[in-house]
Amino acid sequence: MRTGFIYSPPMVFASIDELDSALAGALYLADRGLATALYLSLVLEKPLLLEGEAGVGKTEAAKAIATALEAPLIRLQCYEGLDIAHAVYEWNYARQLLHIRAAEAGAVDEGELFGREFLIRRPVLEAIESEERVLLLIDEIDRADEEFEAFLLEVLSDFQVTVPELGTIAARQRPYVILTSNRTRELHDALKRRCLYHWIDHPSVAREIQIVELRVPGVPERLAEEAARFAAELRSLDLQKPPGLAETIDWVQALTALGQQELQVEQVHATLGTLLKYHDDLLTIRDETLAQLVATARG
Amino acid sequence: MADSRTPSPAAAGPPHAVVRHVVLFGRVLREGGLEVGPRRIADALRALDAIDLARQEDVYWALRQTLVARREDLETFDRAFHAWFLRAATPPPLRPAQPLRTAAERRRVGAPAAGVELDGGEIEVGSWSRDELLRKRDFAAMTAEEFARARALIREIAVGRPRRRTHRLRPDDRGTAIDVRALVRASLATGGDPVVRAYRSRAHAPRKLVLLLDISGSMEAYARALLLYLHAARGSGRGVETFAFGTRLTRLTPELGSRNADTALAAASSRVVDWSGGTRIGESLKAYNDEWGRRALTRGAVVVVLSDGCERGDPLVVAAEMARLARQAFAVVWVNPLKGHPEYEPLTGGMQAAYPYIDRLVSGHDVASLEALGTVLGGIVRRHAA
Repeated sequence: MRTGFIYSPPMVFASIDELDSALAGALYLADRGLATALYLSLVLEKPLLLEGEAGVGKTEAAKAIATALEAPLIRLQCYEGLDIAHAVYEWNYARQLLHIRAAEAGAVDEGELFGREFLIRRPVLEAIESEERVLLLIDEIDRADEEFEAFLLEVLSDFQVTVPELGTIAARQRPYVILTSNRTRELHDALKRRCLYHWIDHPSVAREIQIVELRVPGVPERLAEEAARFAAELRSLDLQKPPGLAETIDWVQALTALGQQELQVEQVHATLGTLLKYHDDLLTIRDETLAQLVATARG
Repeated sequence: MADSRTPSPAAAGPPHAVVRHVVLFGRVLREGGLEVGPRRIADALRALDAIDLARQEDVYWALRQTLVARREDLETFDRAFHAWFLRAATPPPLRPAQPLRTAAERRRVGAPAAGVELDGGEIEVGSWSRDELLRKRDFAAMTAEEFARARALIREIAVGRPRRRTHRLRPDDRGTAIDVRALVRASLATGGDPVVRAYRSRAHAPRKLVLLLDISGSMEAYARALLLYLHAARGSGRGVETFAFGTRLTRLTPELGSRNADTALAAASSRVVDWSGGTRIGESLKAYNDEWGRRALTRGAVVVVLSDGCERGDPLVVAAEMARLARQAFAVVWVNPLKGHPEYEPLTGGMQAAYPYIDRLVSGHDVASLEALGTVLGGIVRRHAA
């Protein structure tokens, strides 16, 4: 690993516990595994790859650690067809054309036209050129094409990009990097080798209660408990898309807005769409099944 | 394995003992099938250096996060960790202890029924026309020698891949999107007047292809040939996923990745545990939909099911899971070797249940029909309108 030319400031957190409480300060309750992963990623200066079912809080974790580090968060949302022009840089063509027209005929030379003031910085370049140490979040990397993954591999090993007209731009400070993936496809081994890997599971009931109470201020204690148990019950069933943590929070927000103190079958039925996103699942969870689940959750 | 462990950490200094432990642990993981290179070992050591070794939980996470890169490997890791660091008496077997049959034995299991003779076989014909005859010969009726020659033909089948338009733009003189970058460059010479036109258009890439092969008893005569076809398909480029199913679903994509057909087939054969057993099409499709469909593998893909549709389970499950599959897939193609028979009608329970969700039903009983399948796949341009 080439680290020599990049200045790395001293470690911000002295221990996992210290990082853990900083995350809690950013309203994120990490379990020990995730806290360790984030800590090691900082200490070893390696990108962290977070995988897990949709809605377990992968993106949230990145945002929280950015807050805890007081580092600006630069997010690159991946999608199919994402290319260098949208991820790294692009020339501002409109300005370039105007510039040529505004100048006397023949007075514009190419070096001037392809200068930094005509460069549009996209997330990757922005992260590399930043004066401050930033956190680069590469979200849902599995959605990008494999060609882009190969390019990313280069960036993550050298933290430099080459703009043909300008030359190579190297990072002044190595950005913190977090990648997330929903596993719609397997990532390249070469990319994985560069990263620490952490699989985020659904939270335990006790932790989910804590998280709900933290994220939905004013939620009745009983409602938070019953809702967390209900969500856990749903995850143990054979559903097409079990609810994630994000869904539980949305749902409890809805129930709280409706003034609920505890789970009641009619209200649960009315708000179930915030928890289950597939029609088939909604057809499965109704009538006696629903009543049964509510009864179990109420204990 | 067990006797190579060091029981006395006191003999060496603590750091040395840690290094030794981690290196040996890496070896245990490798035996369990994980890819643990020197780089990962080095990372693990650095990680252990950064944490409090007295906290067992932190040691667990530090090792897991540096040595494991796939969710599938977590279970193996956990077992190895418990055996190694939590001092179980003997490490539990990392792999199921069942005796593995050799590839040769497996091939024999899948061999076509002996004693079927070539009806006009003794006529001396040139090699080309011999191949022509062979192309139309039902796999089930082939002799071992014929099958050996058919293998070579299947291997050469250029598997047709449906294409899709990507969002990427490539330079193209007949394209419709203006290539502004090229335009700006050219405008330098004309004082800012955009004279030279350069265009770009969307590139095309192969569409995802998912192949699900029935290897149950009733498919015995065809499974070998179709597995070869799966291997040929896997070699056609990126974005091909292959699975086998009988009573359970087995992903074969890594095994069939080897260029050498014999190596690939041997690897695939030893991976599948339910060769020539019963059929649970519905349950297998459900396993696929649950694990892979949920991970969006099916979305936008052409899914090919290769099966005779003889279902021993509940046809209602087949219908429900086919519906799920069809909702996500770009197109569903069913390859049924029985369709090669002139009087075939989709009457089996599983086939009838699946029928409404199939875009195209084709045979797959001989080399010629597999070639035709390539044409069918290559011609799929619109969703569910194969």
